[in-house]
Amino acid sequence: MTLEEILSARPAPGQPRTYEFPGFERTILPLGLQILTVNLPGRPLVSANLVVRRGAGDEPADVAGATVLAARAMTEGTQRYPGVELTEAAERLGATLHVDASWDAFVVAVDVSASRLGAALELLAELAERPTFPESDVARLRDERLNDLLQIKADPRRRVEQAFAATIYTAHSPYARPAAGDEATVPSLTPDVLRQVHRRVLAPAETAVVIGGDLEGLDVPRMVEEALGSFGAGSGSGAGSGSKAASGARAPRADSAVDHPIVRFYHRPGSVQTELRIGHVGLPRRVPDFHSVQVMGAILGGLFNSRLQMNLREDKGYTYGVGAGFDMRRGAGPFSVRTAVQTAATVPAIAESLAELRRIRDTQVTSAELAAACDYLVGVFPLRFETPGAVVAALAGQFIQELPDDELARYRREVEAVTIERVQQAARDHIDPDRIAIVAVGDADAVGAELESAGFGELEVINEEVPAEAGAAEEEPE
Amino acid sequence: MTAPSVRFTDERLANGLRLIISEDHLAPVVAVNIWYNVGSKHEVAGKTGFAHLFEHVMFQGSRHVAKAEHMALVQAAGGTLNGSTFFDRTNYFETVPSHQLELVLWLEADRMATLLDALNQANLDNQRDVVKNEKRSSYDNRPYGAWFHKLQEHLFPPEHPYHHPTIGSMEDLDAASIEDVAAFFRTYYAPNNAVLSIVGDVDPAQARTWVERYFGEIPAHPAIPAPGDTSLPPSLGAEAREVVEDQVPLPRHFFGFRAPVMGDPRFDALEVASQILAGGMGSRLYRRLVREERIAQDVAFFSLGLIGGASIVAGQATVRPGVDPAVVERAFEEELERLSREPVTEDELARARALIETWELEALQRVDERADRLSMYATLLDDPDMINRQLHRYLAVSAPDIQVVAAEVLRPDNRVVLTYMPAANATAATTDEESAA
Repeated sequence: MTLEEILSARPAPGQPRTYEFPGFERTILPLGLQILTVNLPGRPLVSANLVVRRGAGDEPADVAGATVLAARAMTEGTQRYPGVELTEAAERLGATLHVDASWDAFVVAVDVSASRLGAALELLAELAERPTFPESDVARLRDERLNDLLQIKADPRRRVEQAFAATIYTAHSPYARPAAGDEATVPSLTPDVLRQVHRRVLAPAETAVVIGGDLEGLDVPRMVEEALGSFGAGSGSGAGSGSKAASGARAPRADSAVDHPIVRFYHRPGSVQTELRIGHVGLPRRVPDFHSVQVMGAILGGLFNSRLQMNLREDKGYTYGVGAGFDMRRGAGPFSVRTAVQTAATVPAIAESLAELRRIRDTQVTSAELAAACDYLVGVFPLRFETPGAVVAALAGQFIQELPDDELARYRREVEAVTIERVQQAARDHIDPDRIAIVAVGDADAVGAELESAGFGELEVINEEVPAEAGAAEEEPE
Repeated sequence: MTAPSVRFTDERLANGLRLIISEDHLAPVVAVNIWYNVGSKHEVAGKTGFAHLFEHVMFQGSRHVAKAEHMALVQAAGGTLNGSTFFDRTNYFETVPSHQLELVLWLEADRMATLLDALNQANLDNQRDVVKNEKRSSYDNRPYGAWFHKLQEHLFPPEHPYHHPTIGSMEDLDAASIEDVAAFFRTYYAPNNAVLSIVGDVDPAQARTWVERYFGEIPAHPAIPAPGDTSLPPSLGAEAREVVEDQVPLPRHFFGFRAPVMGDPRFDALEVASQILAGGMGSRLYRRLVREERIAQDVAFFSLGLIGGASIVAGQATVRPGVDPAVVERAFEEELERLSREPVTEDELARARALIETWELEALQRVDERADRLSMYATLLDDPDMINRQLHRYLAVSAPDIQVVAAEVLRPDNRVVLTYMPAANATAATTDEESAA
């Protein structure tokens, strides 16, 4: 055969190997803490996450940022291991201990070889239960956060995210502010405030320890019970003090501040690109049409060849990349189109983005588009869960969002069942051009007139100066 | 705990294509990874940014694949994909459910054999615009965005192929013509200039048959030109300094050093030293500059392995408000100097080794990482088995090794110091690889 004959025949796929999301086992300790174990033969590096359903979304507005700062400050020392001694002890096991707080959860995590899991769990427990929050280190971390807020102002990509959240949510919603807090509250976050956060996190009935990897020969529930059996004891938040329904009702408020189309343009003279976020308050994670929304989002702005990409990048060349989607949390996170475009293309890029938002509502996607999105989401599923870290993170997410135990196992069947009609319904139900906010960071002088005549919505231009160093950060007395 | 050994076969087709196959049936996935032995170091003056622009063109279709269809077919197969370009090479990679392997091999073969059939002015112009926007969003519209390009300029003399940025200049991108792109393809995109690695849930005999079928008839290029002379003195000879004004709130120092090439044991010692210097909370620079003296907001130290005369070792420290940048620079440099004056402690070395071991194991869990490393070691060092020796080489690094290499490399007369300073009304101006997506 000639090369041409060989290459002109496109090969067909072979027989797929069956795949099921790995099964897990649950043990519940007397105080209500759940242990989820998933055995993954051949994976000697074990991933362990202690996950508490308490996050930045649950904290009072006057201590905004306390949960994230508490997470950062926890590794600054514990009762048994002051200062960096805990870090050093973990490193001797070849492990790094991470503490992270998101909107929805507080997570203490470690990856370690199976043979050292017991020792690593002892350290994880020490970190989770007995942090000391030293005054001086907390002050330093507060300063670092304030300095980081300065850095955000200089970085258009981070600045636009912050401005978009502050635009679409009212001040009643925690989602209006950065999860790590801002200048208004960070200076007041004392060690005592962080200790209160920590006490709130010691909530065994809201906690799961998720462990995955090659667990052959290990009695993981017993190891966890030995290390963490008294986690949250005496905190008053054990089993019986908080039912699932009660915690589900805790979803943060997510009121929209926008009821008609608006444009908020943060002016940075000389910018060679405009950072754009276009959208509105979106959806919480627990929605009945989750899978339809996923497929719709893939077609609109998730796939490499999404409608937005094919239009703004592959046809017009306005951008290096454009994406769109729903950031789903316990409360309604944002829906947004996200891109950066050359300054001269700002107005046409906004117009094309809005046109795509209308098109996915007004007309049905094609069967080819539906198939491409579903085939991708179904096919890529096993790729996403190649390593224990990914499997553990997914199970932790299932726990955090209080999803049914078979959520991951049935994911592919649910995606395959999505129809053209359901995609259009999801777009009509959840994308709303009538309350769209367009938030931009760029050179308003270069696009101002064109922007005004485009009539995208009520226009507000905000002059921004990147703060110079002097006097910009409040130095905390130490 | 030791990283499991990666078993693989290593062979060449008659046309010179190097084929590496590694079987692992743990997950129903397979990774395909092609490294072409061409990077921005092959570019000449006036044509910078070419290797990377070309990488974008590789996704614009070939004789049997329409524009953007490569992406569409791989994603509809449930796969992930991308390409990337750096000084020494260009690579293309896909990870797919294992029953889709043949599709990916066909896609890669079709563009290796017939790319020019689909090349047209509209596609080139479109991707030129995309790449110019990539340059804007990755460098020009970012605080401190030009730091790496400035380090390159100081670390390598103008005639050296590592002197210019992989992303290229706007002028050179504007000047790129269809003829240039076609000539680039004919010169460098040939089976005898490529390594194809297949790792994962694969039947090696079947894979070999498919590779022979799709790639076997693609003609070799008889005379692929070598890049320009990359030889360099091992050291800069004198410190280079530059102060850059940018729209940034906090000053930041960047440090760069010319270092031994990848594959030299001294480079391994530098990687272990980087961990001891700035790898996390227990490291020397973090402890002193961030935790104790509180003069820096953050610190970093890392190495980039290269083969063209020298590698790059680089570091950075962001100055806290109210602190004299000179104080931060001095503290940073003192820690580098201390590394050459006295051996690291046994405990520091033991912690660094334990962490490196975990990270190697973590990285090698994934089929795409294994495929990338096999292609990398075959292309750059002609030694794919390095994948099984690299960890042992790290673990063999001793305290005296670190002291010796620190004295040789981390010295003032081999140092670039780049200092970003806040400028009230300056116009807003990461690091290294360019990607198609």
